[in-house]
Amino acid sequence: MNMKRFTARLSLRARLYLFSGAILTLFAINVSTHLWGSLARTESLVAYRDTVNAAQLTSDLQQSLEAARQQVLVLSTLRETTDEPLDVNEQTAALTDLENIETRLRRLGTIGTEGTEDYYRRLQESTTSLISGWRAFYRQYNDTDATIDVDSAVNFNDAIQRLGELDQRQEFLAIQRSNAIDRTIALTDRITVIGFITTIAVTLVLVVVLIRATNASLQRLKTGAQRFGSGDLTYRIRENLEAGEIRDLAHTFNDMSGKLQIAIDEVQSAKADADSANAAKSMFLANVSHELRTPLNAIIGYSEMLQDEIGDPGDVDRDQFRHDLGTIIFSGRQLLSLINDILDLSKIETGKMQVSLEWFQPSALIFQVCDALSPLVNQYNNRLELDIDNDAMGEMHSDPGKLQQIITNLFSNSCKFTEDGVITVAATMDDKWLTVVVSDTGIGMTADQQSRVFQAFVQAESSTGVKYGGTGLGLAIVREFCSMLGGHIELESKLGMGSRFSVQLPVDPESALANA
Amino acid sequence: MTGNSLKVLLVEDNALNRDMLSRRLGRAGFTVITAEDGAAALDEMRANAPDAVLLDMNLPIKDGWTVASEAKQDSALATIPIIALTAHAMEADRQKALSAGCDDYATKPIDFPALVAKLEALL
Repeated sequence: MNMKRFTARLSLRARLYLFSGAILTLFAINVSTHLWGSLARTESLVAYRDTVNAAQLTSDLQQSLEAARQQVLVLSTLRETTDEPLDVNEQTAALTDLENIETRLRRLGTIGTEGTEDYYRRLQESTTSLISGWRAFYRQYNDTDATIDVDSAVNFNDAIQRLGELDQRQEFLAIQRSNAIDRTIALTDRITVIGFITTIAVTLVLVVVLIRATNASLQRLKTGAQRFGSGDLTYRIRENLEAGEIRDLAHTFNDMSGKLQIAIDEVQSAKADADSANAAKSMFLANVSHELRTPLNAIIGYSEMLQDEIGDPGDVDRDQFRHDLGTIIFSGRQLLSLINDILDLSKIETGKMQVSLEWFQPSALIFQVCDALSPLVNQYNNRLELDIDNDAMGEMHSDPGKLQQIITNLFSNSCKFTEDGVITVAATMDDKWLTVVVSDTGIGMTADQQSRVFQAFVQAESSTGVKYGGTGLGLAIVREFCSMLGGHIELESKLGMGSRFSVQLPVDPESALANA
Repeated sequence: MTGNSLKVLLVEDNALNRDMLSRRLGRAGFTVITAEDGAAALDEMRANAPDAVLLDMNLPIKDGWTVASEAKQDSALATIPIIALTAHAMEADRQKALSAGCDDYATKPIDFPALVAKLEALL
């Protein structure tokens, strides 16, 4: 329905004004039609009265003319038969009568003159000559010499006929006018009735359209509010179907829903973050539990076995005992380093790991670490190559404990995965960066393994820890320490071709951080 | 606990734990054969028909879950009871081992008397 679409595009206020205006206009048309009808009715009444008056006057005049003629005829006969003169009073009365007739004739001329002019003029011509003849008769009555021909029947009949014609004409015109007016009245009555019914109908239609258009808008708002209420915040009320206040309201609703969605998204994302942090914590605990159990299994198992064996009869196998005790000690140390790593990682993750900066010689520290770890080099028949220019390297301002751990972890890592190969430790330093490269000719890693190797508790393979030992925490700690000291670590590796870890640390991390 | 001379296959890739457990089982009177990875474990099961298998889960080549499910699908091996040995201590890990086909489950560090009791219960 076009009307509905049109009204839906108007604001609610405009709709109300428009509809009120339309209804008032209809009422005004109705009232003016009714007034026009009333006016026509009045006109009709006036015309009717004129007709009645004219008819009355005509009939009076006819009687008066006939009476006057009768009198003239009687007096004329008397004059011829007797010589008795006419009394002055009688003469005056007769002349007054004639005057009176003339006055009434003139009055007849004033009633309903339109369309009767010709008839009236002819009547006046014949009556004027008739009455002037009569008047002359009265004036010359006492003059016995005068001969007066008063029996002018032609004149009289002519006057009467003219009077009748005028009367008929007036009646005809009155009927015509009356008919026209009746038609007007009938028309205005019909218009009034039709107008009234139309007004009612149009008012009803407008009201229904207004209600439906407004109701449709409100329904859309309600649907929107319900959808929002049920949690469907992606729903949008179609604003282009609305206008004015309703569109504002729809827009406000949509706006509100959008903001609500954003707020909910934020809360959900915060919850997801919290959940994933929680899941990570649980995973961390499960991993910690797993890692602690492996060395504990050896410690408890060997200890219980030694306890059993010490109760056996016969000599104790001292070499076997020494070996088993060594195994217990090795596992205990592994457990300790594991606990230390876990504590470090936990401190890093909770942001409690402190960096204590001091001036020291990195070259000396690197030599020291390599020296301390030399037994590891020999374990798998490897060879160590050092490429450190001791003289060219000065002091740096950093955390020596952390640097020591970085190099230890990388070094022992290389030793672990290399057999009959070469471990190379190279270090250079300029005025900004210390670069330490630990490379090996060991088993290497695939690209996929390289992408995971810095994650906590992850080793290149799940079986790596079993085969090569280690906690899966070393490289994660190295990466964290590097970033804490303002530097970074890079890994190049190829399966079967060895690995190359390159660490870059700023000589003065404070200035490096300031530049970052 | 002694003198039953039942044949137990110990599958464990960690040398220390393998050495420790095989010696303790030997002292307890079991005949112990060992394997270091999952593929070797299945070979040993076929070749030596052990009375029971103690199966570590984190193994190279084929992990313990694969070994258990393959053994249970092989009609020749399906009747051999398998006890899972693992440092994974969560209930979900236990369920994972049992649904892979293990008959029982022991958590590291191993409670040795309890493990022997489990073995005797299965045999």
